[in-house]
Amino acid sequence: MNIRVRNLTFSYRDFSLRIGDLLFESARVTSIVGPNGAGKTTLLKCLGGILPVPRNRVFVDGRDFAMLKSREKARLLGYVPQEHDSAFNYQVLDFVLMGRASYISPFSLPSREDARAAEEALEFVGLGRFASRAISELSSGERRLVLIARSLAQQSTVLLMDEPTTFLDPKHEQDLLTLVRKLADEKQKTIVLTLHGLEMAVQYSDEMVFMKGGAVAASGRPGDVFKEPLLESVYGMKIRILDFEGRKVVIR
Amino acid sequence: MRGQQDNRKRALALAILVLPLAAFVISLGIGTYPISPRALVWALTHPGTGPTPEGVSPAVRDVIFRIRLPRLLLALAVGAALSISGASLQALFKNPLVNEYILGISSGSAVGAALSLVFLGRAFPPQVAAFVFAVVAVGAVLVISGQAETHSISLLLTGIIVTAFFSALLSLIEFFASPYVLQALFFWLMGSLSLASWKDLYISVPLIALGLVFLVLLRWRFNVLSMSEEEARSLGVNVRREKILVIASATLITSAATAVVGIIGWLGFIVPHLVRLMFGADNRRVVPLSAALGASVVIIADDIIRGLSSFEIPIGIFTSLIGIPVFVILLKKARKVWL
Repeated sequence: MNIRVRNLTFSYRDFSLRIGDLLFESARVTSIVGPNGAGKTTLLKCLGGILPVPRNRVFVDGRDFAMLKSREKARLLGYVPQEHDSAFNYQVLDFVLMGRASYISPFSLPSREDARAAEEALEFVGLGRFASRAISELSSGERRLVLIARSLAQQSTVLLMDEPTTFLDPKHEQDLLTLVRKLADEKQKTIVLTLHGLEMAVQYSDEMVFMKGGAVAASGRPGDVFKEPLLESVYGMKIRILDFEGRKVVIR
Repeated sequence: MRGQQDNRKRALALAILVLPLAAFVISLGIGTYPISPRALVWALTHPGTGPTPEGVSPAVRDVIFRIRLPRLLLALAVGAALSISGASLQALFKNPLVNEYILGISSGSAVGAALSLVFLGRAFPPQVAAFVFAVVAVGAVLVISGQAETHSISLLLTGIIVTAFFSALLSLIEFFASPYVLQALFFWLMGSLSLASWKDLYISVPLIALGLVFLVLLRWRFNVLSMSEEEARSLGVNVRREKILVIASATLITSAATAVVGIIGWLGFIVPHLVRLMFGADNRRVVPLSAALGASVVIIADDIIRGLSSFEIPIGIFTSLIGIPVFVILLKKARKVWL
């Protein structure tokens, strides 16, 4: 399943997002990078159906995104927010179960199949044993995984993740991105994520989109676009890229 | 270990669900005119007219059908209504401090019912005006606080302001009411079940039952609605539509209750908290158990009031006097659990 963005504009106060043409392909990991305020999250929220998108701007497998019902959108695209902060302390499994909302009528309860989907999702992110724990007992890395599990329970083919690695230590960051890779490779998910860690973005993604000031500065395969002049113009600072044992290392 | 704990919780939940029924039946016998279980059973099984058997006073039927039955039915409905609307609104506004009182629904209903009482008389059902004014009050709170992504603090502050405004309106109505009406108004406002009549019940109970069924059916959805608006939307919920649905139901049942018994504060606040402390945050349990526990609490509180002395303390005062200290203790003990 692919997402095509065409001439999308979105204005919010004094910020405006302008995207010419972008394509996110099936079973691929695309990372959106760029400085703070470049519009990465706004783009992600437009794709996630959280911000209103006008007609004929975003297409999911050729279907106009603006014409879909909220229920249909949720079955196509899952959105993983940066952090979850709730006044209520749900149990982990109950929390993941909320990913099934688009399959359950407002006036009924989750079925056994819904519960099974939630359990599987939790198992997939490796937190099966935490099912009956309270959310508040988890570390922030584990909470991140629970958010991903909730999106998996949603069984959408597209997963949008807003800075899934912030506040994670290097080990957890690596584990999480490995999981993201696994979702694209094994489950054929279309994955779009925003990242700040450039080295990780190069290492784990198939495509990169560089954003600056609400527009796309460049996009393509990391090997083609990840160059010093582009980075320097996007971030507005001196940046050097070193090759170290086949990996890119960013020096600033 | 965990399984055993689950079983114990399930038993406790079941007990809470049958508690209102048990409290209801037992309470029929309690009061200044004590009725023996035998007389009670006889009266309930022979509701019409006709001779009374040996040892059962003819007054028994009157006491049960004209006084206690309507009063207890009202207690049951009102307790369930206020508690379930508290639980629902807390989930909807993602804020355990919200309740129908804070959102202005109670004071709006009170103004509406008072206006109706003063200007249209007892014959006209006060529920209509109560609902209209409750909608106005909660609408004002939502509009002023900027309904979009509800910040808890601005919502609470707006609620206080709107409630204060409606309280002033209420004082104004009292100022213009005749002394006779004023006295009735006064007792009713403090939250009293003693005025319960079948006529009140015929209107309020069906309305409450309707809203109650609705909110109970929505109970799992409340989990999703308690997520941030962005999250709920990305999970496939039409947030705006469902929000209106829930607020309308909560307003309907709160105004139907307030129109008849006045303001019973703190119930919609404390009962859902107690349930969450016992059973966790999952609204599949919180919503129905809040209704059951709230109904029982009002029935039992009313028993205490009737049993305590020959004069009756208004139940609104009673729930506040008992409820607030209980709440403070809970808050101290379990802050980290839900805040």
